[in-house]
Amino acid sequence: MSSPVRCAAIASVFALGAVAACTRPAPRAHTVTIRNFAFDPAELTIARGDTVVWLNTDFVPHSATARDSTWDSKEIAANATWRYVPRTAGRHEYYCVLHPTMAGTIVVR
Amino acid sequence: MLPTRLTDRRVLGALAAIATAIAVAGCKKTENAADTAAAAVAPAPDTTTPAAAAAPAINDAQIASIVVTANSVDSAAGVLAEKKGASKAVKDFGKTMVTDHGGVNKQAVALVTKLNVTPEDNDTSKQLKSGGDANLTKLQGLTGKEFDKAYIDNEVAYHQTVLDAIDKTLIPNAQNADLKALLVKVRPAIQAHLDMAKKIQSTQTT
Repeated sequence: MSSPVRCAAIASVFALGAVAACTRPAPRAHTVTIRNFAFDPAELTIARGDTVVWLNTDFVPHSATARDSTWDSKEIAANATWRYVPRTAGRHEYYCVLHPTMAGTIVVR
Repeated sequence: MLPTRLTDRRVLGALAAIATAIAVAGCKKTENAADTAAAAVAPAPDTTTPAAAAAPAINDAQIASIVVTANSVDSAAGVLAEKKGASKAVKDFGKTMVTDHGGVNKQAVALVTKLNVTPEDNDTSKQLKSGGDANLTKLQGLTGKEFDKAYIDNEVAYHQTVLDAIDKTLIPNAQNADLKALLVKVRPAIQAHLDMAKKIQSTQTT
């Protein structure tokens, strides 16, 4: 392959990569605020690869624990955060293991 | 000792009623507690005094004392449940009570320090303490399922009574905005504890 042709091919690959990058939104961070012994929003829909940040604004510790036990924040202290990236599409039900009446859902598209 | 800035001993009738309700709730069976509490936290209207001139039924220093005492009483019962509880649910609940009520008291102490208020003992706080002590004595003599049932029954009654007191007496009478905000922030914790205790109660067998 001649040099100009090789350069053109490489440029095309980069261009395709750039287009692909443009069509897939960059991962985002979403916040679930723990407030007054509830998850807000109670249900959050995100894209695969997005990050969920739980922010505990209560004065007692809480947790975000998957009902199927696949992930668990452990105790999130007052005014602390915990980050998690759900990798599997679908509905992820979770609750606070310290206060089991608190429940939430993450929907991964 | 911090100086008492907010002292008002004018009206203690409602206080006595609440104190009686909470103390009674701590010792009586659950089915009686809600009615007792509802009746007690809603004192009979004083038809001889115009509403606009009515003094607060309870002052901020007294409210602070009630908050600290109520949390300490339930935290002490939680310590016992963590140690003596037969089921995991009761042990876990007791542990959460210790953590949560400790957290509330930390906030309450920080607030009274900031406000330069000394919590003022009153009939309610004294009876909360004596009711709590009586409950601990009773629980000390129980084991296994009997302990679990007595502890959870009391927790349901206690949190229902405290919730009623917060709604009908403490929040309406709190004068300081920060104290009122603390009570508003504490309320969901008490509601969550009540719901949790009821859920455990519903699964208990005699």
